[in-house]
Amino acid sequence: MRWFSGSRSTAEVAPPPGHRSPALKAILDDIPPGSRHAVLDLGPPLAGNIKMLSALSCRVRIADLHRSLSAEPAESRRPEAMGALFERLLPLAPGERFDALLAWDTFDYMRPDQVSSLMVWLTPACREDSLALVLASTRPQIPARPLHYRIVDRESLAYDGPSEPVRPCPRYGPHDLARLMPGFSVQRSLLLRSGFQEFLLARRADTGAARGQEAGVAASAATGRSWFRRGRL
Amino acid sequence: MWNKREDEPVRPTAAPAAAAPGGVTVRRETAAIGPSISIVGDVTGEEDLTILGKVQGKVELPQHSVTVGESGRVDADIRAKIVSVAGEVHGNLLAGEQILIRKTATMLGNLTAPRVGLEDGCRFRGTVDMETPPEKNRPAAPATARAPVPSTKPAGTVGPPTDSTGGGVTAKPEGSLTRP
Repeated sequence: MRWFSGSRSTAEVAPPPGHRSPALKAILDDIPPGSRHAVLDLGPPLAGNIKMLSALSCRVRIADLHRSLSAEPAESRRPEAMGALFERLLPLAPGERFDALLAWDTFDYMRPDQVSSLMVWLTPACREDSLALVLASTRPQIPARPLHYRIVDRESLAYDGPSEPVRPCPRYGPHDLARLMPGFSVQRSLLLRSGFQEFLLARRADTGAARGQEAGVAASAATGRSWFRRGRL
Repeated sequence: MWNKREDEPVRPTAAPAAAAPGGVTVRRETAAIGPSISIVGDVTGEEDLTILGKVQGKVELPQHSVTVGESGRVDADIRAKIVSVAGEVHGNLLAGEQILIRKTATMLGNLTAPRVGLEDGCRFRGTVDMETPPEKNRPAAPATARAPVPSTKPAGTVGPPTDSTGGGVTAKPEGSLTRP
């Protein structure tokens, strides 16, 4: 009934900021119709995104990683404790594998060692050729917390959240991501007007490191212990 | 149910009568676990259930709805026809019809139902799987985000025993009913 009120403001009419996202399109195009694709979303639970992915018959795992990490005491976020922390925050069922990873801008709010530890934990759980979407700000400062990225359609994203830049940005570039995500390679990147760089990454086919990690996961599933922790002992 | 005093004993409230197939009138019951009640054990039954207190164990009402109110805290898998969560749940939810996670909810576990609704602002970690659970005895989705459910302990029954109308919610095999 809004059209009867006659009091619509410009803010109500203006669409939320957003951008065309070739990486999102690539990920959604990669989902065969009727398949049971498993998607790992590192962002918060957003009803529209879950509805969209579920309509494509996907199983969606929501990690809400930034909120989970922020709720942890500083002691748990020490570099040497990150492996155990991710094991607890993002437990993987034996045999659980993902076909796509939606990281959004979560990595901008993590230290390089945190991203690296996360990917050591996650990479074996990503299938060969699985795709990942990562957004990295190129600006010197970023808002206090990650934006909420909402899937508008197959190739468009809208975002909302705090806009005031208050904390330094790690400004991850393609070489940083290649270093922090050794099981993945950058397929394409796009610099957006918003100051973000959007990356589409693909899980490399069975690298030596990945083979070792997967063997570790299998051993972990068999023994009930963490391959990650055992590897560091 | 909403106006009842906290120190009242837990008992079902009568809901409008419904006509069962064959013309037999069946009273539909709604039970509530009040905010001061803690149950350790499994809860099963044949009526709708509202949880405002604490439950540890398993909740199974496959033909009815389970509502976890804002004050409710459940460490259990829940299997029901409709599940609505406004409080805190650590466990997997399996619903025959739908699951609704309200914005006030904190939910750790997997959601499996043909329809799943999450309100923005809710706290949720787990998997959403909108496949249709094929049969009623299907086990819940594998736990990936929750600790094992604690073992059950001593006796207690919430609500009346099952009668000819099929009403009653039972804590079993031997749940404990405690008031803090």
